[in-house]
Amino acid sequence: MTAMTKVKGLATAASFAATLLVGGVTYASAEEVTLTMAVPDWPPTRIMKKFFDEQYKPKSGNTVKLDVDFIPWPDFYTRVNASLTSGEKKYNFIVSDSQWLGAFVEGGYFRKINDLIDADPELKATMESMHPAVLNAYSTYPNSTPNYYGFPQFPDVLVTYGRKDVLCNDDEQAAFKAKYNEKLPCTGEEIDAMDWNTFEHVGEFFQRKKGDKLAGQVLDDDFYGIAYQAGKGYDFSTSSVHTFVWEHGGGIWDETKAPTGHAEGVVNSPKSIEGMEHFLKLLKYMPPVVKTGTMDIFVSDQLFREGKVAMNIDWIGLGEASLDPKTSKVADKLVFGLAPGLRGPDGKVNRTSQIGGQPFVLTTWTTPEQIKEAVGFVKWWLSPDIQNQFAAAGGQSAIKSVYSDPKYVTYRPWDRAWANSLDWQKDMWHVPQFFELLTQQQDQYDLAITGKQDAKTTLDNIAKFQEDLLKNAGLIQ
Amino acid sequence: MTAVSSTLLTPRLTAVVAHNWKLAIAVAVVVSAISMAGLPAAVSFWVVGAAAALVAAAFTVNAYRRHYFGALLVAPAIAVLFVMNIFPLLWSLGLSFFAYQANQQTIRFVGLGNYVRILTNDLAAHATWGALINTAMFVVFTVSAQMIVGFLLAILFAKQFPLRKYLLILVLTPMMLSVVASGVFFTYYYDPTFGILSYVINSISGNQFILMSNKVGAVAGIVFADAWMWSPFVMLLVLAGLVSVPKYLYEAAAIDRISSWRQFWMITFPYIRGLLMLALLFRTIEAFKLADLVILLTKGGNDTLTISYHLIRIANEQNKTSEGAAISYLMLFMVIVLTNLYLYLANRRTKGA
Repeated sequence: MTAMTKVKGLATAASFAATLLVGGVTYASAEEVTLTMAVPDWPPTRIMKKFFDEQYKPKSGNTVKLDVDFIPWPDFYTRVNASLTSGEKKYNFIVSDSQWLGAFVEGGYFRKINDLIDADPELKATMESMHPAVLNAYSTYPNSTPNYYGFPQFPDVLVTYGRKDVLCNDDEQAAFKAKYNEKLPCTGEEIDAMDWNTFEHVGEFFQRKKGDKLAGQVLDDDFYGIAYQAGKGYDFSTSSVHTFVWEHGGGIWDETKAPTGHAEGVVNSPKSIEGMEHFLKLLKYMPPVVKTGTMDIFVSDQLFREGKVAMNIDWIGLGEASLDPKTSKVADKLVFGLAPGLRGPDGKVNRTSQIGGQPFVLTTWTTPEQIKEAVGFVKWWLSPDIQNQFAAAGGQSAIKSVYSDPKYVTYRPWDRAWANSLDWQKDMWHVPQFFELLTQQQDQYDLAITGKQDAKTTLDNIAKFQEDLLKNAGLIQ
Repeated sequence: MTAVSSTLLTPRLTAVVAHNWKLAIAVAVVVSAISMAGLPAAVSFWVVGAAAALVAAAFTVNAYRRHYFGALLVAPAIAVLFVMNIFPLLWSLGLSFFAYQANQQTIRFVGLGNYVRILTNDLAAHATWGALINTAMFVVFTVSAQMIVGFLLAILFAKQFPLRKYLLILVLTPMMLSVVASGVFFTYYYDPTFGILSYVINSISGNQFILMSNKVGAVAGIVFADAWMWSPFVMLLVLAGLVSVPKYLYEAAAIDRISSWRQFWMITFPYIRGLLMLALLFRTIEAFKLADLVILLTKGGNDTLTISYHLIRIANEQNKTSEGAAISYLMLFMVIVLTNLYLYLANRRTKGA
């Protein structure tokens, strides 16, 4: 090799390197922004991705790509938790259950969004137009303080799913009236007015054996009146027990009262015990799987879709499957109403319920460029037009102007119960110890649900554990 | 060649030659210490990595120049083993002496605090011991069920009969299925409303039958599912032993008119004992780690929480990383003791025979 060829070779290499560099720079100035998102795999997030691909045009003129990881629900927490704690910094956006906020804010993973809201009057207006129960549950940490972290992705509440063909049958109506001297709820409005006593009567009344008659037809399998989540996994009994505890005037450890509030004496107060006992009383009218401690929201939903129960209380998020004749034997027989409440001595129905649904949050390592696009995307997502389309496709909106529009209730049969439910939604804890509080409580509830211990022992055990844990964490003085 | 290798002198510590691994170690230690003290963690991580690579390179050159080719050939395997296995093992052992949660940024040395907590704290220890007792129960029940069923199946399949080949494939299928698939299958199988089990019992007795509603039923359900999946594994091992027994031994025994019971103990059993021991060992270790079926079938309800599932909840769900590390070392210790006990017993029997 001569000196000349060597020089030539070097020059070629240098120009090649230069091309690469310049090419890299031009590529970067094309402003292609990718937002990576971790979401649970179910209709509300699939719809969002579909809308984005079909309709989203960023105002900045950049090309924005939404790279969505659809993760199955049972794996969702584990995967998100592993991704965050491992430090891989993969996701810009994460759909998070509202209760995870504390754990991941304290870990330094979730980004506070107050500055973004303050800097953008349009976004501020959108956040203010949101129902306060939803905003507090999905956005704030510490709970109900003006420190915001999340935007609602899919808000959700518990509603009553009913079977018209059974509930509105004349023979059943007459027999129910004769037995309890009250009307068997049949229309949506009647279900709205239903209290836990009527719900219990429905449960007792529709317990039928194989060979018995139901709405004039001979049953080829056992039939049950009611179903309501009472499972050991995740929060599948906490959501229902909390509702009863709150409605009876009891309480859970209240994080907004930290550090002076206590768990002992609140969690296991006589009112709380009364609430839990009320819930346990209903279990005997539910399908037998409840005795195994595995009747979660998916199991009760399946029992309802298979036509084994007359009424089921479940999240709206699972509703689409019951409307679809391919997955539901009761698709053409549906009626929806509010979840029942507790009727007080004055005849008024007291309602409080555990809120469902998820916000999406920004992560702390998201770059300013990505944040700009993310805010643009959020504003688009929460704009009335898209929110209406989302609701029409089976989603829900917490924006006041959207859900109070008369056409909102025409989208899906359960939408009539949506806006009315929002006012009395409450959330459990957002503290970083959330998962410990939840697992221990679920274990204890399971013992009560499967008949191993009574409500008092259960709540005493929970109170003792929470007092100890939260004292060590400095949340109780 | 060999002459060269034997004459390669060990260099002085200060000599700058590629195979001076002592110097490489000294440099690496000094550089690592300085970078850890002076540089931000994100940078010093790579500096320490480079220092480790330098030491590795010096060792490699040294081995190459000395013609230690055997060592060079196994080195990649050892390196992978160290990086993927031994290093994390030691790291988690270290973690178990700290108070550390993966989702929080603080770390504090607590010595044996985590071990004391999981073994004596009235809340934490209660869960640990309960889970350990359940695990022991599952080990005894699942392993004995698998050994008995697997052994009987092997005896059956050691004989020739029509359709044997196809039946054998059928029997092996459960082992090839994913645990999740079998778990979901058994969830439906045991379900009181949709399941075939309660359907059959209902139509015979007329009463409602809910298998998983108490501890006995839940344990029976899990043990049955586990045995269904893993008995074929025991069968395969035992079958391998059975077919290896020379035919002439049986022929000789037949001539001597030895009863088939004695034939079994004198001829067959010695041949399959080693393999039985192996199957027992494998299945015991696996059963000790049982978590998947429990999660799928009961979520730990009806007092079926095993130590593995307990560990998953502590370490993965609640992010109590160092407490989880302490529990896994407790488990590792128990498995090691258990397996060594087996091996000791097996060896003693062999020597005695």
